Amino acid sequence: MNDDAGFTPEITAFTCIYCAYMAADTAGALRHTYPATVKLVRLPCTGKTDIQYLLEAFEQGADAVYVVACSLGNCHHVRGNERARARVARARDILASLGLEPERLDIFFVSGGMGAPFAQIAQEMTQRARRLGPNPLKGGKRHAGRTHPDSLKADEVSPLGA
Amino acid sequence: MGRAPLPGPAPYRIDLMEASHPGMNGKEPPEGVLVIGGGVGGMRAAIDLAEAGIHVYLVETSPALGGRVAQLGFMFPTHDCVLCRGTSDHGFGCTRPSITPALLDFNRHPNISVFTSSDLTALEGEAGYFLAHIRRRPQYVDPALCINCGRCAVVCPVSRPSGFQLGLSRRQAIDKSAPRSIPDAFYLLERTETCQDCRKCVETCPTGAVDLEARPQELVLPVGAVILALGFQPFDPRLMPELGYGRIPNVITSMQYERLASRSGPTEGVVRRISDGKVPRRIAWLQCVGSRDQRNPYCSSICCMYATKEAMLAKQRIPDAECHIFTMDERAFNKEYNHYYQQARDAFGIHYTRCRISAVAEDPQTGELILRYPAGREHGESAPGQGSLREERFDLVVLAVGIRPPDKAVELARTLGIELNEYGFCQTDKFAPLSTSRPGVFVCGAFASPKEIAETILDASGAAAESMRILREHLGERPFSRAHPFISRDGLPPEREVAGQAPAIGVVLCTCGGEISGALDLQAVARYAQTLPGVQWVEVMPLACLPAGQEHLKRLAASPQINRLVVAACSHRTHESLFQRLTSEAGLNPYLMEMVNLREHCAWVHGQEAQAATRKALELVRMGVERVRHAEPIEKEPRPPAQAALVIGGGVSGMTAALAIADAGHDVHLVEKSGELGGNLHHIYFLAEGSNPQRLLRDLVNRVVGHERIHLYLRAEVVGHTGSVGDFRACIRRRLATGATEEIEVHHGVTILATGGRETSVPRYLMGQDPRVLHQSELEEILAHQPERVAHLRSVVMIQCVQPEGTPEYCSRVCCTNTIKNALRLKMVNPECQVVILYKNIITYGFREGHHLEARKRGVLFVRYTEDQPPQVRLEPRGGHTNLVVEVEEHIFGRRLHFEPDLLSLSTAIAPTADTARLAKMLGLPLSPEGFFMEAHLKMRPMDFVDEGIFLAGMAHYPKFIEESITHALACAGRALTVLSRPTLHLGGVIAEVNAMRCTGCLTCVRTCPFGIPEMHYDRAGVGGLGCAAWIDPARCHGCGTCTAECPARAIQLRNYRDEQIRVGLGSWQVSVPGGAMGPNPA
Repeated sequence: MNDDAGFTPEITAFTCIYCAYMAADTAGALRHTYPATVKLVRLPCTGKTDIQYLLEAFEQGADAVYVVACSLGNCHHVRGNERARARVARARDILASLGLEPERLDIFFVSGGMGAPFAQIAQEMTQRARRLGPNPLKGGKRHAGRTHPDSLKADEVSPLGA
Repeated sequence: MGRAPLPGPAPYRIDLMEASHPGMNGKEPPEGVLVIGGGVGGMRAAIDLAEAGIHVYLVETSPALGGRVAQLGFMFPTHDCVLCRGTSDHGFGCTRPSITPALLDFNRHPNISVFTSSDLTALEGEAGYFLAHIRRRPQYVDPALCINCGRCAVVCPVSRPSGFQLGLSRRQAIDKSAPRSIPDAFYLLERTETCQDCRKCVETCPTGAVDLEARPQELVLPVGAVILALGFQPFDPRLMPELGYGRIPNVITSMQYERLASRSGPTEGVVRRISDGKVPRRIAWLQCVGSRDQRNPYCSSICCMYATKEAMLAKQRIPDAECHIFTMDERAFNKEYNHYYQQARDAFGIHYTRCRISAVAEDPQTGELILRYPAGREHGESAPGQGSLREERFDLVVLAVGIRPPDKAVELARTLGIELNEYGFCQTDKFAPLSTSRPGVFVCGAFASPKEIAETILDASGAAAESMRILREHLGERPFSRAHPFISRDGLPPEREVAGQAPAIGVVLCTCGGEISGALDLQAVARYAQTLPGVQWVEVMPLACLPAGQEHLKRLAASPQINRLVVAACSHRTHESLFQRLTSEAGLNPYLMEMVNLREHCAWVHGQEAQAATRKALELVRMGVERVRHAEPIEKEPRPPAQAALVIGGGVSGMTAALAIADAGHDVHLVEKSGELGGNLHHIYFLAEGSNPQRLLRDLVNRVVGHERIHLYLRAEVVGHTGSVGDFRACIRRRLATGATEEIEVHHGVTILATGGRETSVPRYLMGQDPRVLHQSELEEILAHQPERVAHLRSVVMIQCVQPEGTPEYCSRVCCTNTIKNALRLKMVNPECQVVILYKNIITYGFREGHHLEARKRGVLFVRYTEDQPPQVRLEPRGGHTNLVVEVEEHIFGRRLHFEPDLLSLSTAIAPTADTARLAKMLGLPLSPEGFFMEAHLKMRPMDFVDEGIFLAGMAHYPKFIEESITHALACAGRALTVLSRPTLHLGGVIAEVNAMRCTGCLTCVRTCPFGIPEMHYDRAGVGGLGCAAWIDPARCHGCGTCTAECPARAIQLRNYRDEQIRVGLGSWQVSVPGGAMGPNPA
């Protein structure tokens, strides 16, 4: 899917099992369509959003990655979503230091009833990735499931981008 | 490998009765408790009783649970989205929710039977031995067969206004009130009136769930107690035609505004005018519509706060919105409410004007609304601006409608034989606030008096506790288990050992009656799944959730060739517990089953592009298979709870909680710091309502002292407290008469904090400098004990809201009523005495407003003062003596009033007791900004702490009235009994585990955990054998995984979400388009 003419971005969305997953369900129940190249990875809470997962998603070739969390102030685990926001910000800095566009990564806050916004977010991220073009790491080194655990440490992430 | 042909849709129908009576199977219905009303109160009461091992019949008159709260968008003051917190959706996957997922269709608590569209028609018998007659109206769709595909609504030719959306949108005759309603099924209402009987729905339904021949059912249920959770009816503002509702389109009610501001509302949360769809810029809220007037002379208690919330939401969503609230008093009388109100006023710029609007006029050209009101009455604004009349235009006017008794109250009261009060609400007693006039029938929530969610939740758990007292012989009688991620009866088969076996995965692809297979090529997905590593069996099934599908799935999971299962079907949220249960019933650990959502997350959202949807399905199934390949069985830790409770504090709350638990047959250790029981009750001599608090005190003390189950420790303190739910240990230090101390260790399952509050001494207004300046409680002593002194008083001034300067301002809730009570007593004994009350806001919420009215009628003078211009108090020489002088700016006439009273009584702030901070530190509990204990959630869990097994009652929570303290204490007792009544608690499950050998002891997890659970243990060797590694108590961990993502050494893993389970397929897709080569791309 990686030719210039018909580039279809492949996107990974991390969701918590509360509001974000429910918003995706609501989008389904109300048949709000969005591109079929967005896949969801369930986390128990976006507080579990590990910077390593975000970076690994890019390393494994995702063209864009985003996190969908409960509305701010509404996290079911007090402030997991705020932690996720801080980690996304940190991971964006790391992406920038690797020469990847930080906009490929983002975080959104929704409530369970926001089916239409959930679908709009998927569309927006798809458009954004299409504008930015394919992830340059795609097709390069692929370490699926074999990344050394220490690659989480920010200063040791750089070899992947080299 | 292969695909076994399966029979078509289920060959038999589940009887509705049986579906909602799990485990009954034609046997006699068990004796239980009847809960009438399925709103938050009813749901909360039902779950507490069910958890205590008592069967509950939850009867709701509408077709879905949730009540009024399900119609709200957000809650004040937390702005939590009510969507999930207010319904049982909250807690999907969460181990410690408020209203647990125990009401979801496929995770229904085995001790709860839900009857929707049902009403009570008669109640025979007496407390302990009632027979309840229930009439169940048909809903024409069998919830056990409905798969929520919505095809019936698509073909339905008739539409009608949606009641759930308050007429703001339309729905089909056959439809669902909301996407997440419970029962999770469509229904048809008013078949004879709206439905044209075209039978299109019957023909189109893929599972044969629509049955237009369904008939009403009559049920007779044996119940020991009844809980009324009927809720309320919003006031109908058409009764006040001057406000224009129903005539002027841009005048709406607050309930309609809630729907407009709700994400699940007709505009998905964008507030628009109904008339022209325009986003309003200037919005006015008119308070007390249907409250505090001749028709409804009580305060509805919630409108000030909800209007504040609605205005804040408007400011958040419409940045240049201008919000005006027209109110008589701002009644922000609960924890954090005053701070919330101040934020609304100061940070959000919401305008509060002290005025009651008498009429709304419309400009027919623009649709704008014209309000006239006196100028200069905003916030602290004082008299100079007064006198002129201002005219303003608004785009939208919201009527903050008050609370009326439920529509069916009169009819139901007749059926039940209970009394209603003068306003039409349920009659209760001051000291038995949850009991109706018929023994064994209890009340909770707004049917007892207007109240908000938190108090409804307290009432509900308290009413559950009262019912448990009657049914104490039945406590724990119907055991259930939380050993698994779903709730079950005991008796699941032993689990097969899978350790050491290579993964052998069965993949089931559900067509969902065409909902999935119609949108994507499921056969292609099946062919692909067969190529995945570890997959032993793949099959396509028509409907995995229907009985035949369930049986088939269970047989498959039980097959010795399979040790892991992937079910690619619909949402985890609604169906994971079902498939986990089937996996368990087949002898496999439920965590060895992985669901893939091909319906809500694929077929339903990519229906227009079959090829792309198929490709996504391949990728999702690949990820599911990979994830389950790495799955490990997860067990919880069983723990029989210690059969005793520790209650700290011997005031009215502590004694009430202790008695309720002891009456249920459990030992209670009651610890009181002072030498006698009773706390603040010793200083209360009479009540506004007329009851005798000293009689209550004597009754409680006598019952506590004489109770064989209560172990009383006077002059004692808790000096040590360790452990977790079911297994606490405390050290009690008691001072003996000899002056020596002794220490006693107790082992208990639950702890209740009822440490109370105290009237503070504030050195303002000459307090402590002149003997004529008194606390309000001291005035009460004089009124009670020195009538001759009272008879000679000529003038008494009372100042409200006396707080130490520079401390956070909060409403102490009880002072206004207390002051008015004393003022009325004073006027009764000595009608000639001038009584003046200087106040900021009069907080006489609920029926207490009656005392406020009474005081005004009897000539008590009420003068408002503002924060900027507090009253001046000084001493002035008059002839031979010195007079006390009080001066205050009066804001209506703009004059300075001068009083020379005989006595000046001050209502000072009520603060937590001195011990609160020490106990909070010892138990690791948070405090609120005001210094009171901070509960788990302001609205939904007002008696719980985040730490399970520790509860909060009475003034330790916030200042409150006696009846509120009793309710709070009963609620605690009810919650405590849900722990003590269970033979075994199951702790842990999906929790974080520290690999000590990798832990460097950096404390990151300790700092990160939102619940403060990780601890450093010196006896655990960390990395390199060094001492002090982190430990996470499996009984307390919530399983959010925040620490795992932060641990720099990656020493923490979250069960069921271990790195190797998540890292599969994070990036680009490893599948090709169907029709091309199958299988993963070479890496």
